[in-house]
Amino acid sequence: MAKLRHLAIACKDPDAMAEFYKKAFDFELVRTSDGPLAYGHHLSDGTIDLAILRFKTDQIGKGMDYTGLHHFGVLVEDLDEAAEKVGAHGGKHYMDQADQERIGGFEVKMYGPEGVLFDIAEHPWTGSEALPAKLEEAAD
Amino acid sequence: MPKLRHIAIAAEDPEAMAEFYKKAFDFVEVGRPNGVLADGVFLSDGTLNMAILKFKTDQLGKGMDFRGIHHFGILVEDVDEFTKRLDSLGAEHYIDQGHGGNQAGYFEKKFYGPERVLFDIAEHGWAGSEPLPVPVKEAAE
Repeated sequence: MAKLRHLAIACKDPDAMAEFYKKAFDFELVRTSDGPLAYGHHLSDGTIDLAILRFKTDQIGKGMDYTGLHHFGVLVEDLDEAAEKVGAHGGKHYMDQADQERIGGFEVKMYGPEGVLFDIAEHPWTGSEALPAKLEEAAD
Repeated sequence: MPKLRHIAIAAEDPEAMAEFYKKAFDFVEVGRPNGVLADGVFLSDGTLNMAILKFKTDQLGKGMDFRGIHHFGILVEDVDEFTKRLDSLGAEHYIDQGHGGNQAGYFEKKFYGPERVLFDIAEHGWAGSEPLPVPVKEAAE
């Protein structure tokens, strides 16, 4: 089964917000990124990547001042198969990762019902847990 | 370490949205919450509870028409201990789950963190979500 492995928050001050979640819940900083889409920090609880980001474009149509929960990410076994399945059920493709060298982030972004944005990836987000089948393979 | 175990989406049509995620990712339906705050569908990926809800109150201050990811929830070992920690860090307490209600399977306390991002904490786990890992020392005993 696919797994929820990423949650992104849109904020004005990613530095202060990341400090809060590190102190409040002992989440660990696993990466700081500054790309064409956003600047911010990635925290991990050992399973999920919690991305605390200041976005540079309006991906969800709520305006550049929007702050709050932004999108989530689903780790899948096969990206092409999953994207096709999402599309077959009415999901709309938004964009692909432009940097082919970039592993550990989104690979495809899609809109589900009511315009809810989500990512899919077949490589785990940095600091997040692999799919159970992959963990079993690694243990063999 | 506490664990993210709950994501809630505000939807106009929770039924249709839940069907989509069941079909798209094989998430499994684990409940049908119907409370004073929201109605909807609980899905699970075996680790997290994904709640697809039609809210009855404006918890975020973004209006009743808000659609999108609404809040998240963190499973902690001890709600009282984490409440103190959150207070000391400046989080604003919003509401508690009613003491007469069933605490298990839902949020226990809601807080606003920085920039008024809403999150829940609970020590009993959301429906269909994975419990906290057993500490290595305890598991060895």
